[in-house]
Amino acid sequence: MDKTESKFAQKLDWSVYILFFIVVLGLPLLTDDVFWLNRISKYLVYGMLGLAIALSWGYAGILNLGQGLFFGLGAYMFAMSLKLKSYTSLQQGSAEPVPDFMVWNAEPGTPTELCCIVPGSWLWIPFQSQTFGMFMSILLPVFIAFIVASAIFRLRVSGVYVAIITLALVLLVRLLIIDAQPLTNGFNGLTDLGWLTLKGFEFDPYMVATYYLVAISCCIVMLLTRWLVSTRAGLILQSTRDDPNRSRYLGYDVASYQIFFFVVSAAIAGFSGMLYVIAAEFASPTFLDITFSISMVVWAAVGGRSSLIGAVIGALLINSIEAAVSESEIFKEAWKLIIGVIFILVVLLLPRGIAGVARDFAGWLESKSLKAKNSED
Amino acid sequence: MNYAITIDGLTVNFGGFKAVDDFTTTVIDGELRVILGPNGAGKTTLMDLISGKTTASSGSVQLFGKAITGESEHKIARYGIGRKFQIPSIFRDLSVIQNLEVAASKEPSVFKNLKFSISSNETDKIKQVIELTELGPFLKKTAGDLSHGQMQWLELGMLITQGAKVLLLDEPTAGMTRQETEKTAEIINQLKGNHTILVVEHDMAFVRDIAEKITVMHLGKLLAEGPIDKIEKNEAVREAYLGSGGIH
Amino acid sequence: MSNIFFIGLSLSSILLLIALGLSITYGAMGVINMAHGELVMIGAYTAVLSGIYLNLNLFFALPLAFLVSAAVGLLMERIIIRRLYGRIIDTLLATWGVAILLQQLIRLEFGLTFFGINIKGLGPGLQKMEVPLFLSENFDVLGVTVQPYRSFIILLTIGLALLTWYIMYRTSIGTQVRAIMRNPQMAAACGIDVKKVSAWTFAYGSGLAGVAGVLLAGFKAVVPTMGSSVVVDGFLVVVVGGVGSLLGTLLSAVVLGQINGFFAILTNDIVARAIVFGVVILIILLRPNGLFGFKSR
Repeated sequence: MDKTESKFAQKLDWSVYILFFIVVLGLPLLTDDVFWLNRISKYLVYGMLGLAIALSWGYAGILNLGQGLFFGLGAYMFAMSLKLKSYTSLQQGSAEPVPDFMVWNAEPGTPTELCCIVPGSWLWIPFQSQTFGMFMSILLPVFIAFIVASAIFRLRVSGVYVAIITLALVLLVRLLIIDAQPLTNGFNGLTDLGWLTLKGFEFDPYMVATYYLVAISCCIVMLLTRWLVSTRAGLILQSTRDDPNRSRYLGYDVASYQIFFFVVSAAIAGFSGMLYVIAAEFASPTFLDITFSISMVVWAAVGGRSSLIGAVIGALLINSIEAAVSESEIFKEAWKLIIGVIFILVVLLLPRGIAGVARDFAGWLESKSLKAKNSED
Repeated sequence: MNYAITIDGLTVNFGGFKAVDDFTTTVIDGELRVILGPNGAGKTTLMDLISGKTTASSGSVQLFGKAITGESEHKIARYGIGRKFQIPSIFRDLSVIQNLEVAASKEPSVFKNLKFSISSNETDKIKQVIELTELGPFLKKTAGDLSHGQMQWLELGMLITQGAKVLLLDEPTAGMTRQETEKTAEIINQLKGNHTILVVEHDMAFVRDIAEKITVMHLGKLLAEGPIDKIEKNEAVREAYLGSGGIH
Repeated sequence: MSNIFFIGLSLSSILLLIALGLSITYGAMGVINMAHGELVMIGAYTAVLSGIYLNLNLFFALPLAFLVSAAVGLLMERIIIRRLYGRIIDTLLATWGVAILLQQLIRLEFGLTFFGINIKGLGPGLQKMEVPLFLSENFDVLGVTVQPYRSFIILLTIGLALLTWYIMYRTSIGTQVRAIMRNPQMAAACGIDVKKVSAWTFAYGSGLAGVAGVLLAGFKAVVPTMGSSVVVDGFLVVVVGGVGSLLGTLLSAVVLGQINGFFAILTNDIVARAIVFGVVILIILLRPNGLFGFKSR
């Protein structure tokens, strides 16, 4: 069957994107419910995570079972900045802000100074600059992704072992974050955060402006990623997924492509971590739970792992339904069961997810209309 | 005399087993050399060594005078060597034209490939290759859906698009019908002269069709080298490989 | 010092039991079974339920749990895994789905919660299994405090490991399994019924998981999520030890258990686990086939 880009399919692709943008950006016009909008912005963040997985898995053939690592790191980095801006941090009676949990964890008698209240607290000092926090949100995940990817791909580790390493990695870092209680507040995570402030404007999470911040970021990331995969580099990346040896023999340093796109995927995850903190006002070790990381894979699989917008829609769909059923405890658990079954069915029967079904349907429509045209002649 | 490939004392030792043993030969630019030998003679390992998949234990390989021993596969590919595998190795999930586009890019790095357009040189090259391989009607088809013979031609086409000056072909007619084999011979004969070609083959009729000079390998060593008639008459070759019937 | 060793050993033995089952299914079928932890959980719940409704104690629960988990494993293999032959990553994902499914079935008490029926021993809450009295009290031998339950675990694990070794290396069915591990097509060509043997192998590995579950139930809370934490540990042990190598799994379980135990005393439990993860990552990077593995399938 002809899989690729007929003119019709391309037009369809663009119209889905445009429709999506219109709906997402137009939502605030339909409702005043800022709580609802806040929820949707969280789902848009999940959508970006699904997109990051699709980029890595669908296009590069790299299954990252620990994407939560980069999401979590991005979230924590920015949450640190917002924590230092919070009212309580400024009330500790010291010149610079000091997070409340550090005070609780400090040895009696230690001066309440950010540099030395608990071991390592000086690491927090640069986060007094919100801009620093923003940069670190993306830089730290990128840095770690680069190191990890270089190790993995230069050593030509492949397939399932890559997935296992990413899994072990997110678990490892989760433990480290929990253990460093005086620095990270352990299990409790970073709560009681200040608000993002840009040019004097404060972004209250329950504000339409904040929704637009997240929504527009999401749309831009979608467009940029879409552009990225349609370049030659994107095509070559897919070739490394299909047959890395052949790609190598055509003169491409396969590892460098894998590293590049793994890092881009991590950057997207880190950025979405920052956005999440802005909308949800906390960062927690639960971001690094394996169930969360694997959920991202489920969203991408159901939506369509090789379709960026499919993965986004998959994430939105699943999370919306989950929210809708969470009113009742029983329905919530039943939904989890249903999602488990759906996931199994998708893996068994629908490897290209909803997007695949949509594309097949579009292809069928196209061939029918062609037939109709031909029979008219 | 411009030597495309110079191999000197090439040896690879796999824990005591010498898959290629002190192999020396030279291949002239534009020549077509057939490599014959029974299974296990070391033919594929020789190709692995030249193309960089395996590292030699000793000896050297030079490409147009440039030492390439021990370099990585993708660098050697950029120096001008293209390798065709026994089992057609193409990008099955991409379309035919996409396969050729991937092969066409002259820039290896990610950053230089962050663009859309194909240069006009590349388009011309691709057009030529499409004509040569007669894959015109199948450009949008998923490569995995092609017939076996078409996949082999696509792979050959990709090597040419890649701009390889030296082609290493590992059993290019494996699994082909009579007609497909004839067509492949046609393509290869058209490539002679503009490209240096090393062919590993078993199919004797095909060899007869394309061969100029033959190198016979046995147990990793070079057993004999020369034009077809000389090889046929060579006692050692007959014993090891051909049997007394000759090439037919 | 011997106390540390002992604790490490009992940690290792649980890990080993779980990894043993995984090693067999991964080695024999190339299947990464993310639901293995849930098979452990099912074993634990079998012990709980049989204690409540059938008044069976630990010793009867063990073979029962083996059978129940083996049966569930067989079902999984027949319905799902068989269709994903050779697609390792898809199997990983599909079995993750099964894991969620199994967890939810227990939480929702097989759907009965919908009707307002609550079965004692099921549901989202904690359950526990009674350990027979004679095993729960420590006693002294030559000045060393012996924890009988942990000793029982170690002994049982050794026994099962030996049994597994015996089956794999001294019986004809074991030879068949090992043949399939090395080269399934060749094994089929030699007349081995690959489908059947693979299915039974998977069942056996799952049964071992059930036994591990019963043992765990003796000192850990029995909850629907108890499986998820052990499956990852189990996998890491198997991957480090090497695909298809029982010896590798054994050594890997011992080594990783010891590292865990050692660092747990040195720093704390959390950091110890983190270090183990770090060690595992290094080993996979440098020797992806594990310490004793061979490339197969």
